[in-house]
Amino acid sequence: MKIGFKIAAALLATVRIDLRRPHPCAHERVGFISAGLSAVGDDVLILARSYRPVLDQDYLRDPSVGAMMGPEALRKALQWAMQTGAALFHVHTHGGRGLPDFSSVDLRENPKFMPDFCNVAPQSIHGAIVLSDTAARGQVWLAADRRHTFIERFTQVGAPIVTWRAA
Amino acid sequence: MIRFDRQSFLGSGSEARLDEATIGLVGLGGGGSHMAQQFAHIGIGGYVAADPDAIEDTNTNRLVGGTLRDAAAARAKTKIARRMIRGLQPHARIVTVCDTWQHATEQLKTCDIIMGAVDGFAEREQLERFARRYLIPYIDIGMDVHDLGKDGFLISGQIIVSTPGSLCLRCCGLITDERLKEEAGKYGAAGSRPQVVWPNGVLASTAVGLAVQLLTPWHPHPPAFTFLEYDGNSGTVSVSAHVEALKGRICPHHPPDETGDPFFDIRKHLEGIEQRPASLWRRALRAAKAWFDGIFGSRSTQTV
Repeated sequence: MKIGFKIAAALLATVRIDLRRPHPCAHERVGFISAGLSAVGDDVLILARSYRPVLDQDYLRDPSVGAMMGPEALRKALQWAMQTGAALFHVHTHGGRGLPDFSSVDLRENPKFMPDFCNVAPQSIHGAIVLSDTAARGQVWLAADRRHTFIERFTQVGAPIVTWRAA
Repeated sequence: MIRFDRQSFLGSGSEARLDEATIGLVGLGGGGSHMAQQFAHIGIGGYVAADPDAIEDTNTNRLVGGTLRDAAAARAKTKIARRMIRGLQPHARIVTVCDTWQHATEQLKTCDIIMGAVDGFAEREQLERFARRYLIPYIDIGMDVHDLGKDGFLISGQIIVSTPGSLCLRCCGLITDERLKEEAGKYGAAGSRPQVVWPNGVLASTAVGLAVQLLTPWHPHPPAFTFLEYDGNSGTVSVSAHVEALKGRICPHHPPDETGDPFFDIRKHLEGIEQRPASLWRRALRAAKAWFDGIFGSRSTQTV
């Protein structure tokens, strides 16, 4: 099963601009992208819908990491997933150009909270996306008790259409 | 010289990009047949072509690639398009659906761009809504010949690019409730409308150019929304006044939360895959893996 991610260029631009805003205490910003899903044969297509940033007051002060979400940020995102049944993707940026990699902190922390989304909205897949200024990479959880997999292909739908392989 | 040397100005990697792309062609009559031919000429690798009709004598004044022999055989328009594409792109990935496009939705979902060359306003609106649901740019072409009585005839048409997140056919006034109502009232009694080959050619060529702008880097700033008006009497294509008037507006007709299949459930999707009997080669692969693991120890990782 292959997983593709499509996002309108205007929405992706909004996300990038928002994540660049300085935060009073955190080194970087995070947010969530909601998405609809569609089967294409055995494959799954993730179709981005909207973006919500984590509010300033919902970060925890933790100098050991770029940004640490507090419990309220997570609760709001889980609520969003549960109420709408949408697929939810944690998103942050590493900046730069080319295909970004998840940091060791991302790889350690994402599996701690992403399966919770599969528990509250088990009909959808959920995950985490790391952006650069030109590309993205994504992890996906298909179910709470499954190991994550990766988004294989990203498509930025705009003028022009930009596509890249990420796994 | 190699085949696509003369279009190398489209940009670095454009040949591969065009070959990777899949275009949805809905309607393979006067407009759609032109587009199928041109996409094959420029090297598009994938096609999903849908049209329920077969060619008739009255279509041969404008259906590109169709012959009198095809008309005598009542050949499906999809077969004519496939033959034309294969003649230029022997290895093209072609899916044809000789039925309404609503029977080709699974295949159309996979397209990079959908080109609509359909007759009615209701069909245009449904097709655009479908494209938005799957975040696919939609390019619409249409033409009409109006009888002005003693003043003769007026040939007019439009080309509209509607990309997700930008303005749509309703925003620019092509689709209105009045037009849909009027069309519904005439259902089944529309008769055959006048159509000729050269306006279709102008509209199709312009639409193909706009699609290439979306796929390749040759144009530095292609517009996400375009509305071009064709005046067949003066032979001009110009940007509609709507484009300037709508600048800065946000489309209220296609809310972003409509993307995806409303009833998709990953649990059922996985169940469907896992319960399917494995193919012979997959079973052979599993047996080989079990044999390998038995000798060298398991190194398996969970895959989906």
